[in-house]
Amino acid sequence: MEFKDNIPIYLQIEQYLYRQIALGKMKAGEKIPSVRKLALELTVNVNTVQRALQQMNDQGILYTKRGEGNFVTEDIELLAKTKQTLIDNQLDEFVQNMAKLGVERDSLVTVLEKYLKESEE
Amino acid sequence: MSDLLQVKDLSYKKNQKMILKDVNLNLSSGKIVALLGENGAGKTTLMRIIAGVAKNYRGEVNLEGSTKEAERKAKLSFTDGLTGFSDSTKIKDVVKFYAIIFQDFDENEFTELRKFMKLDPEMKLSQLSRGMREKLIIALTFARKADLYLLDEPFGGIDAMARKKIINSIILWKEEKATILISDHFVNEISSLLDEVVVVKDHTVLEHKSADDIRQNHKSIEEYYESFYADEDDE
Repeated sequence: MEFKDNIPIYLQIEQYLYRQIALGKMKAGEKIPSVRKLALELTVNVNTVQRALQQMNDQGILYTKRGEGNFVTEDIELLAKTKQTLIDNQLDEFVQNMAKLGVERDSLVTVLEKYLKESEE
Repeated sequence: MSDLLQVKDLSYKKNQKMILKDVNLNLSSGKIVALLGENGAGKTTLMRIIAGVAKNYRGEVNLEGSTKEAERKAKLSFTDGLTGFSDSTKIKDVVKFYAIIFQDFDENEFTELRKFMKLDPEMKLSQLSRGMREKLIIALTFARKADLYLLDEPFGGIDAMARKKIINSIILWKEEKATILISDHFVNEISSLLDEVVVVKDHTVLEHKSADDIRQNHKSIEEYYESFYADEDDE
């Protein structure tokens, strides 16, 4: 995992974990890897991982079992909402990038439909 | 987060030449901190003074209440360039020496580190590549139980694999309350690890900032560091 160096790392770790959860690589109720293991995997400071996990605990997407570690929430609604947020973020980026290329909002759907149809053929 | 190290109004001259001037620096426990600056900026001298190796400075260096050099030396672990050993010394003999000199040196811990670094205890110092030598120095440094570790340019002239090993050993072996100060003139390789950055320039500590504060302003650590040298490109 490569991090952008101009965005706080803990935010990027959060995003990374959100993606893992949304993609089903970390499932509802499952234990996530230990802090040190994540730190090693992502080549980041243990403190930074802890900060990211703390925030995700506060948001309810993770919960801590004393002495056992961090687990993904079993709240299906919250998980669905989290996934939707990721989708919205991607769409937001897409819309902005298209605007930069001169494709305005009202022609977006037409352009996208045309593209999907052509790429199918 | 208690104050671990306080450097107050530190100045140091060598052969009438000013090396460090009015340095002030506070480090708290549990952090990974980069000490950044060009070659010759005074990073190594500052580390040597903190470590209690360089003496006759002006000002005060306080490590958890200890201001005397000998006391500080016992409390912190500093990367020693293995300069005192002859080339024919075997790794295992260096370890024996460390175990005698440093009360907090843990031989079991060293064995773990040595295996992780893939070093053979029977090897002589003369047989070690630059990367292996640096890995040995790091293993010896981390095998001590200290609250402050000073790593002086651990990545100088070594290959990517050795660098990765050293970075991983930092992540794996750093205890929660220990602080690690790493000097370097190139920040990219360690920037994702850092809690704080200290910039040394013009013989003093110019700035000390949290890595997240820098990134919060959408600046990379590298851009931040380079901004101190921006004006010099025109010369």
